[in-house]
Amino acid sequence: MITMKQLLLLAFTAMMLAACKKEATPTVPGMDTVDSSAMINQTGAFINGPYGNVRGTAKIITASDSASFSLVLQDMSISNGPDLHVYLSKEIQPVNFIDLGKLKSTSGTQVYSISGTPDFSQYRYALIHCQQFNHLFGSAELK
Amino acid sequence: MKKYLLVFLILIGGISVSSAQQSKLPKVNQLADFSATIGSSQQSLAASYIYNWGVGKKRKFELGIGLRNTAYFGVKRDFWTAPAKLARTNTTPFLIFFAGQKTENWDTLTVQRAFTNSLNVTANLGYHITNKLYAGFNIDVIGFTVGQKSSAILKSNGSTKTEPAAKPAAFNLLLTGDHDLGTLNSEFFLRYNINKTWSVKGIYQFLFVEYETTTIKQTAPDGTQNDRFRNKANNFGVGVAYHF
Repeated sequence: MITMKQLLLLAFTAMMLAACKKEATPTVPGMDTVDSSAMINQTGAFINGPYGNVRGTAKIITASDSASFSLVLQDMSISNGPDLHVYLSKEIQPVNFIDLGKLKSTSGTQVYSISGTPDFSQYRYALIHCQQFNHLFGSAELK
Repeated sequence: MKKYLLVFLILIGGISVSSAQQSKLPKVNQLADFSATIGSSQQSLAASYIYNWGVGKKRKFELGIGLRNTAYFGVKRDFWTAPAKLARTNTTPFLIFFAGQKTENWDTLTVQRAFTNSLNVTANLGYHITNKLYAGFNIDVIGFTVGQKSSAILKSNGSTKTEPAAKPAAFNLLLTGDHDLGTLNSEFFLRYNINKTWSVKGIYQFLFVEYETTTIKQTAPDGTQNDRFRNKANNFGVGVAYHF
């Protein structure tokens, strides 16, 4: 028979387990297709941030119909972490930024669509950022 | 609060069962109460000391006070603009419950790892439905909160910014609706007495949690600078009480 003490312990353990969800980023290499007719506007190579290792290239491209923009991360290799996001940022730190969504994979080629028409002369950095713990993994200056 | 009372009275009215063999209830009921609630990406644990007085001839009603420690945990929870004058169309006390929402002023602070620990004086209200069943409501009135600073994301006026160190609001005070300050816990519950010493309960919890930004602020359309953001959690849970 379960005692009251055991019941409480069980409830507490269940709650703590539910609270601890640190989901790592998928590691299956990204295989997104890049529109070969798209125009490359800016490009930059990633450098490591204080909390991670990031290698690869970031490119802002304009679709062939000139109607939409995307950020392409090419030949990426990123140390894994929880809650990694891709930002377009005004600063090399994620102070003012546009969140393009969760990082799809720690490697390969990935395409992230950019909504609207940001001023790319202001949003000059692509960042890989661990949102939950506010840790910058890497940045690329887009020129 | 008015809504709470209405629901509470309906609950009592709906399930009230007269119990002919109900024994005389005590003048004073003292309890140590422990509860746990869970919602979407958030949980709370609470420990309370409760001191209730039996009211009326049969002492079926209870009124009382208590002291409650509530720990709240949340991951990537959205907190919205808190001050009543920004959040509501009418800020008259009590009428604020029926006021419209000024959603054009609402900005979102997503606190990444919220943790607050509050100590509040509570007000308690309840009714003995039968010898075994008791329906009640309690609410935090005044107290203080300590907790963990957390990074947060502020979405305001079409821009997204990082707040590196959002912190829990330190002072808690029950006023009315969005006039409330800080972290305030309240519970509707139905308690079942296992024996004279132990009881268990099912809980519907309404919990206000407030965080403040420290480095960036929301600028409302009227120019008001705001650093207060509130999460309103509706959780379900269970509890156990020891009767002294």
